[in-house]
Amino acid sequence: MTQKRLGTALKAVALTSSLAVSTFSFASTLTVSSPQDPGSWDPIDTFLVNWASVATNIYDGLTYRGPDLMLEPGLAIAWEELDNGKRIRFRLREEVVFHNGEPFNADSVKFTFDRLMGEEGRKGPQRSNYAAIERVEIIDDYTVDFHLNAADPVLLTKLAGYGAMIVPPQYIAEKGEEYFNAHPVGTGPFKLVSYQPKVGVKLEGFARHWGGAPKLSNLNYRFISEPSTAVAELQAGRVDMVIPPTIPIGMIPTIEGDQTLEIATSVSPTVYALRFNTRSGITADERVRKAMIYGVDRQAIIDSILGGQAAPIASFQSELSFGNDPEMKPLPYDPNKAQQLLKQAGVAPGSKIQIDIRGDNATFNEVAQAVASYLQLIGLNAIIKPYETNVLLNDIIPAGKTGAMFQQAWGGWTLDYDNTAYFMYHSGEKWNPYDSDAELDQMLESQRGLTDRSQREQILKSIANYTADRALELPLYNVNAIYGISKRVKNFTPVPDSRLRLSDVTVD
Amino acid sequence: MVNFLLKRFLQAAFVLLAITLIVAFAIRLTGDPALMLTQGAGSVTEADLAQIREGLGLNKPFLVQYSDFLIGIFSLDFGRSFLGGTPVSQLIGTALPATLMLALAVMVVSIVVSIPLGIKAAVARGKWPDQLIRILSLLGLSFPNFWLALMLVLLFSITLQWLPPSGMDGFSSFLMPAVTMGIILTATNVRLVRTSMLETLQSQYIMVARAKGLSERSVLYKHALRNCAIPLITYFGLQFGGLLGGIVVIERVFNWPGLGTLAFDAVGARDYPVLQAVITVLSMMIVAVNLLVDIAYGLVDPRIRTE
Repeated sequence: MTQKRLGTALKAVALTSSLAVSTFSFASTLTVSSPQDPGSWDPIDTFLVNWASVATNIYDGLTYRGPDLMLEPGLAIAWEELDNGKRIRFRLREEVVFHNGEPFNADSVKFTFDRLMGEEGRKGPQRSNYAAIERVEIIDDYTVDFHLNAADPVLLTKLAGYGAMIVPPQYIAEKGEEYFNAHPVGTGPFKLVSYQPKVGVKLEGFARHWGGAPKLSNLNYRFISEPSTAVAELQAGRVDMVIPPTIPIGMIPTIEGDQTLEIATSVSPTVYALRFNTRSGITADERVRKAMIYGVDRQAIIDSILGGQAAPIASFQSELSFGNDPEMKPLPYDPNKAQQLLKQAGVAPGSKIQIDIRGDNATFNEVAQAVASYLQLIGLNAIIKPYETNVLLNDIIPAGKTGAMFQQAWGGWTLDYDNTAYFMYHSGEKWNPYDSDAELDQMLESQRGLTDRSQREQILKSIANYTADRALELPLYNVNAIYGISKRVKNFTPVPDSRLRLSDVTVD
Repeated sequence: MVNFLLKRFLQAAFVLLAITLIVAFAIRLTGDPALMLTQGAGSVTEADLAQIREGLGLNKPFLVQYSDFLIGIFSLDFGRSFLGGTPVSQLIGTALPATLMLALAVMVVSIVVSIPLGIKAAVARGKWPDQLIRILSLLGLSFPNFWLALMLVLLFSITLQWLPPSGMDGFSSFLMPAVTMGIILTATNVRLVRTSMLETLQSQYIMVARAKGLSERSVLYKHALRNCAIPLITYFGLQFGGLLGGIVVIERVFNWPGLGTLAFDAVGARDYPVLQAVITVLSMMIVAVNLLVDIAYGLVDPRIRTE
């Protein structure tokens, strides 16, 4: 009898262990190659998109925005705008826990934003994006009011990412700010297992996530900055996905030529333009600027150099951008008209102009060469001056020391044209070293406090038209976000803004 | 002897001081890290930037920042990375062993290959094996190593799938970077071993050894090699120092988590503390190797000691 019981017990053990084995065999791991280690996982420390391509899995915001770019409930299940947009009331999701078991409630929300707007936030770059938030008031355990010092129409979007990710108050109080940088805890679908600076970060599925456990059991990221190395890892099958911005256009055929791999693309927020010095030199004349736009065949550049992985733009924003006017068409390629305009403006044939570009982008280098040859054809002698990226961005452009044209690539993850137009065109802004236009300033300011979406969109569209009429830049194109993925990866939707959430992805 | 040592130590200390000063000064000419950190943020006011600079300690006068850095070196406290605030000593603590291990592997590859080849070339002086080895070493010298690295990856990782294309991940991951770097060193070393061996083979004790009827193997490896080992060891030692500096490109191609990768990223991010620390640590090691060589010479050769 005892023996028999023992036997049954053994059988039971064997059964459960085989069950354990079989659930374990469902376990799948996805390895992603990301080009940069942000150095800290604290949401308020960084603006790097490759922070977000990892951290979107670790944290949740009050709102959520996925690949379709629609705003959905996140940790807040509902919200309403009160007092003409000066106050937003959020109803919070209940029974949510952080990875360390700490409950999520109104305290966590207040703590998160007090921290962002306070001393700790001051040390980082995220705070200025949320400057509209004056304070957060706790109404009850699961209701908070955001008091704003000015209505911010983009705030709800901004709450879905970066500095607005909800962090655990008790954990940070106990472990300290420094520990938190390398050991992040959030409420997201994956929790941190280990982080090795400059090497990689390992996550595992968080079974208690409010949206259900993710399908992947493990999610690993490796930091590989060299594109050829990342692609080699993909081809060798040691990495399942290479995320942007890594793969240059020139490497797409390599990936497409491999039967186990494929390219997935999405429209991205990133747009390229050659902006003009509108203050001095020949480009101070609007006719000259227009001539240069007419003189460059942008579609040909897209087809030949960019392998079709881009779309022409009429204003400095992508088609996804709030404020994009689909009615607007880019100026056509018309070299005769260009020459005519140059003649009218009295520009001597062979006049020299300098194009400042970032030296590290091989693709854009080719684009610049093509632009220079087109300009040559209409009688302008263009010289390309490559700079080290940081020098161009931080020292040359803001100081107004560029040539007649300079490269600008821009793309805010919020995909709101205000985020581009205000910084590019408003007088005195860092990215606007040359132009000052009172009428444009007035339009830019007028849309900022508006909560009426359609009215705001109208103004943004007229700003886009206005800047195109004044030819403030030579709009080039909107590039695609390029992902190289192994065909074993299923259920993956490429996201436009690098904010990857991989909870539904599976690996065969 | 004490005098000699003291002099060499003082010289080394001076060199290090000069290097740290130049590095700390030059790096601050590259631009403002606060601008770098807020590059992607939209509206940033001067006040925001000042706040960030203060947080990073960049508002202090240069000499104060420099002396903080110098004092820190003695307690192995190199400050914190501007990017994320990780203590720099921690970053160096993981990167230094990775670089040292790779450099060691490179040395091993190059020594193991270059000694037998160099001896062979010396023995067969003027005959076809000598010619062949010399041509090969010329080829090895003229290969751009990043190109070689990419070709190796193409063959061994992608086509054959034998070796991991990047990262530091067990023994197999050392092979390609070590061979890539090793080939160039080997090319130089083969020539060095050959010349050194030729000289030794003409000495009388080798004739005696041969006359005694010792096997050729024993003559070459026991008598000749030992006698030309001293200059070789010195040279290899110095090479090791130089190697640490030259490893940056290979680390990047193979995504090796070493000092080169660390420095490369730090340059891009204007991460002063990390860059300062990497350069200081590298120069400390090179100075230390040189010092050891100097001292060794002094010990061996009394003429240098009293100079």
